[in-house]
Amino acid sequence: MAFIKLNELEVEVEDGTNVVEAARQHGIEVPHYCYHPGLSSPANCRMCLVEPHVFFPPAGAIVPDRQLATGCTTVLRTAPPDRKLDGKYDFIVYTDSPRVKKAREDILEFLLVHHPLDCPVCDQAGECDLQDFSYRHGHDKSRYLEVKNVPPKKDLGPDVLLYSTRCIVCTRCIRFCQEVSGSSELGLIHRGSHDEIDIPRAHDGMPLQLLDNKLAGNVVDICPVGALISKDFLFKSRPWFMKKESSVCAGCSVGCNITVEYKEDGVYRLKPRFHGEINQHWMCDDGRLGYHYVNSDDRLQLPMTRVEEELRPTHWADALTQVTEKLSEADAAEVVVIGSAQGTNEDNYVLQQFAHEVLKTEQLGLFGALPGEEHVFPQFTIEADKNPNTAGARQMLSNGAPVLEGEALWQKVSEASIVYLVNGAPGRPLESVEKAALESVDFLIVQDVLPSEVTALADVVLPGTTFVEKDGTFTNSKGWVQRVRKTVDAPGEARLDWEIVQQIAKQLGGEMGYHFAGEIAIAIAENVPGYADATHQNIGDSGVKLA
Amino acid sequence: MSEELIQIQTAFRFSEENQREFDELIGHYPVKEAAMLPTLHLAQKQAGYVSPAVMTYVAELLEVPLMKVKDVVTFYPMFFEEPVGEYVIRVCHTLPCALRDCKVVLEHLKARLSTDVASETDLGKGTTADEKFTLMKVECLASCDVAPVIMVNDDLYKNLTPEKVDKILDNL
Repeated sequence: MAFIKLNELEVEVEDGTNVVEAARQHGIEVPHYCYHPGLSSPANCRMCLVEPHVFFPPAGAIVPDRQLATGCTTVLRTAPPDRKLDGKYDFIVYTDSPRVKKAREDILEFLLVHHPLDCPVCDQAGECDLQDFSYRHGHDKSRYLEVKNVPPKKDLGPDVLLYSTRCIVCTRCIRFCQEVSGSSELGLIHRGSHDEIDIPRAHDGMPLQLLDNKLAGNVVDICPVGALISKDFLFKSRPWFMKKESSVCAGCSVGCNITVEYKEDGVYRLKPRFHGEINQHWMCDDGRLGYHYVNSDDRLQLPMTRVEEELRPTHWADALTQVTEKLSEADAAEVVVIGSAQGTNEDNYVLQQFAHEVLKTEQLGLFGALPGEEHVFPQFTIEADKNPNTAGARQMLSNGAPVLEGEALWQKVSEASIVYLVNGAPGRPLESVEKAALESVDFLIVQDVLPSEVTALADVVLPGTTFVEKDGTFTNSKGWVQRVRKTVDAPGEARLDWEIVQQIAKQLGGEMGYHFAGEIAIAIAENVPGYADATHQNIGDSGVKLA
Repeated sequence: MSEELIQIQTAFRFSEENQREFDELIGHYPVKEAAMLPTLHLAQKQAGYVSPAVMTYVAELLEVPLMKVKDVVTFYPMFFEEPVGEYVIRVCHTLPCALRDCKVVLEHLKARLSTDVASETDLGKGTTADEKFTLMKVECLASCDVAPVIMVNDDLYKNLTPEKVDKILDNL
């Protein structure tokens, strides 16, 4: 640990921390643009200038250094005993001296030279570093009277637009594409004050390569100004109108930490949230843009039962009565219960409890989205398993016995007369084996979120909820148990998946009395090996790693 | 909505002679990327200008991302991204040349060639109809003692007057 004098504070920071981070840890803001904790530091924006103090032998005193230093590249380390300042400090640095304040004001004036003040029509307004830092650290006026550069607006790729006029050339996006995605599509064209971010183009402006890697959306997040804009979110909402909730992406088994931004009428965007051991600062575009199905008008909103070969909407009481009648008549050996790798641990645990304690069946299976492709980037991996909770669902459903998957599952299904299948994977197509097996079932109960080939075969369809509409936990492929949180309300009469199962269990005489997901998590902590610490209280925002 | 990528119609390759020269020069550098400038000069000499095909070829040759090549090409005004005339005339217009009446030289060239001065993003503006000359202004050519100067392709001409310019052009 290095002992630092930071303004008037005496603080200890870990060796290797830079001044920007050290200050952040102690609640002091050092404004910065080019520096991003997930990328290299070129120190080109000059915004994070701080004033180190050094020992000056002739005067025998500690004096401000001749030059200001960039906080992002000034790394704090323990000094040798004979080099301590004032006999005890490893470093002395001021982030609020008059010189620093003057430098910040001047740098901001330079950065704003070519910046249009179009905040009223800019998507970034409200979450813009340039806006915030100008307000807190800048001049109230510019002395620049000349004509501003007006470089053109550009289409960079499938999801990213560049409003070049707003760019302050911090090069975060370029470094992201070099260091994290490794695809290097972005670079600078021209020179000096005419610098522009761009993709490779022919002289007439036609693109030779597009910014279309699966991590491209991250450049929009890291852009400190409104230059890089997501086409998906453009003009949809002002940031301050949206509510925010910490959650976990349901796109694959990585389990990227995200912030869900939503209003009453739906989810507006997902943004990555830092987790040092899972996703760092990033998330992939499949996850980022894959949420649209939760807002879809096609969502299952009412229970449906099959009347004369056709699925017709009905009310809950009717649907549940049909389900319970069939289940109470059936022989336990002919019932298969299939949980979903898209569902939370809580959903799957209640389902398992229902199967064992109420239906008395040992035939539990696991279903979920079809596997996709694995994508490996220098600093990020998108996993092939497109379910957020395969590991967790397997552990919840097993209860000692192995969970049926793949061929064994479909073999059992084809022999069964009643199957209770929870899906949740949006628009899941069926492979021929799966389809044949499900078609042979006498009575198929499907709990799902969207119409799909699965619901098309069902005798009863029960509308469930997606990951943004419920509380619960997912266990990722590396054993991190993390929280998803309810944001928007489920559409129509759709209900929480575990509530539906519990209702059926109650109607069949089972004893289950959970009131909220946290209670189920406590039951999981008590009963499922490895989950002792995984209560909602412990998990918080950063998750718990399974022992 | 997204833009379509353009397809490069005719691929570029070094001629045998230039390939030999490239093989020789690449040996002078510790990493291939470092040979970017001489390679681009060589390619521009062969192709006349740095077309998308040339950029793609150089990127593959030096094993760097295409954007790196584009970056360098747009940075330096001596690389042309569009066709230029057979003779590229660069007129220095930095201070010492300006004090020694480079403007007269430039105006004379404009009148004599009946063309405008090229801008960095539009070289066509300074190219004559017969595509023989491209006229452009440049920053200091490092010959202030003999101002005003112009450069025609790789040759420097000093102490210019309109008469001398006429003589130079007549000899081309």
